[in-house]
Amino acid sequence: MGSPIETWEGAAAIFNGAGGAAPVIWLVLAGVACFGAIVLAAIHEEHVYAKYLKK
Amino acid sequence: MEQELAELAAKVAALEEGSAWSTTINMEVFYWWCTALMFIIHAGFLAYEMGASRKKNVLASGIKNILAFAFMIPTFFFFGWWIYLAFPGGLILDFEAGAGGIPWSDAMGPNLTDNATGIFWAAFTLFAATTASIFSGAVIERIKLSGFIILAILLGSVVWILAAAWAWHGDGWLLTEYGWHDFGAAGCVHMVAGFFALGVLLNLGPRIGKYNADGTSNDILPHNVPMSVFGLMILIVGFFGFLGGCIIYNGTGQWTTIFGNPTTLSAVAFNTLMCFGGGIIGAWVVTRDPFWMMSGALAGIFAAASGLDVYWPPLAFLLGIGGGVIAPLVFRWLDKLGIDDAVGAVSVHGFAGLFGVLAFGVLGAGYPNGDYPDTNFLAQLIGAVVMVVTGFVPGYVGSLILKTVGLLRIPPEVEIRGMDPVKVPISAYPEGMDSNGLGVPAPAE
Repeated sequence: MGSPIETWEGAAAIFNGAGGAAPVIWLVLAGVACFGAIVLAAIHEEHVYAKYLKK
Repeated sequence: MEQELAELAAKVAALEEGSAWSTTINMEVFYWWCTALMFIIHAGFLAYEMGASRKKNVLASGIKNILAFAFMIPTFFFFGWWIYLAFPGGLILDFEAGAGGIPWSDAMGPNLTDNATGIFWAAFTLFAATTASIFSGAVIERIKLSGFIILAILLGSVVWILAAAWAWHGDGWLLTEYGWHDFGAAGCVHMVAGFFALGVLLNLGPRIGKYNADGTSNDILPHNVPMSVFGLMILIVGFFGFLGGCIIYNGTGQWTTIFGNPTTLSAVAFNTLMCFGGGIIGAWVVTRDPFWMMSGALAGIFAAASGLDVYWPPLAFLLGIGGGVIAPLVFRWLDKLGIDDAVGAVSVHGFAGLFGVLAFGVLGAGYPNGDYPDTNFLAQLIGAVVMVVTGFVPGYVGSLILKTVGLLRIPPEVEIRGMDPVKVPISAYPEGMDSNGLGVPAPAE
């Protein structure tokens, strides 16, 4: 989850969780956030358009 | 004596190491600033698109354009870069080549042994966002935001980058099999985005009021032409970053193109300026319209883009004139066919790009490509057909699916009233500009 290195000497991939499972968790959450934002956009649009059409 | 030699060897080794680091860092710095300049393209597209909208839709158009950019970045990280690396051979997946682009690979994040992946990913992400912005302008004032975002992701993080793997990659099959050449991405960026937009426009339909019952068309005037013209000029500034990103910095030797042939920034400078000027003049002769003059500048660049590395500048100028003339004429032709492209994206990017790609086949044939076939007309023709199909089909099919599920077009009542007063919580011009007689729109609740 945190630092994948114990020394900067010879370090390569230094992003947190490198080499473990944590990056995949963040990746899935980021994907869900994108998908969720699109769903929210669709819901918001339907709501505001329906509200306007009712007036 | 031996000690002196050892000291000398140590100094040479240190100098070599320093030189290698200098080369690496210079490469990073070059693409860093290309990427920064490419952001200006999006400032330009934003101003262009908002200016081209009517007052009642100006902020909704801005939201749409900004969100396309925002969604392009993570989705290009998730799968766009991997597509580029994995598919240069066609539709056959190359797992080994694609491994470095898988999001969880060591290369796809901070890595002290890799100064290249992040900076190239960033530059290509900006190219991706450019394709989405091209498409964005064509569909303003009637497309649903959610449907638009889905289509923008499809174009920017899947379709164009697949075309780039084929047509803008050192191992792309159009180069290795046929000898294709397209320095400035007239094909994979501009043609693909333009024809993708055309596919969407066929399903989306024109804006209400654009066409009369007898088929004649009405002009739907932009609410702020100066803003659009300025946006187009600033967009050109960004294209210097775009074209810089089309060139490979080798550090210890001459610049090369993505296709491997040597080139110089000087060559690109000569020709970019010449075709830019030609595009403006060509469009001015045909239209006398500043909106189209600046669109003509873009069309002029795309008309010469394939050969910016090898054309003689006066030829680039003439090609620029050709692009500047073709774009407005194609726009009028599409308008007569009932295709409402609000900013001329299909004609400026799609058709001027097509002209440029084919023109290179005639005017730029015979350049050597190492182990691959020399540049030739057949390669450009095959590539042009591939770019049209790769852009148009996903745009048409994707938008047809969205239309079927009700995610493509806003309700007509909302379109007539305008999207800003219906769904945007602030007003673009709260203190006036009641130019359409509908009253100053109150912000949406």
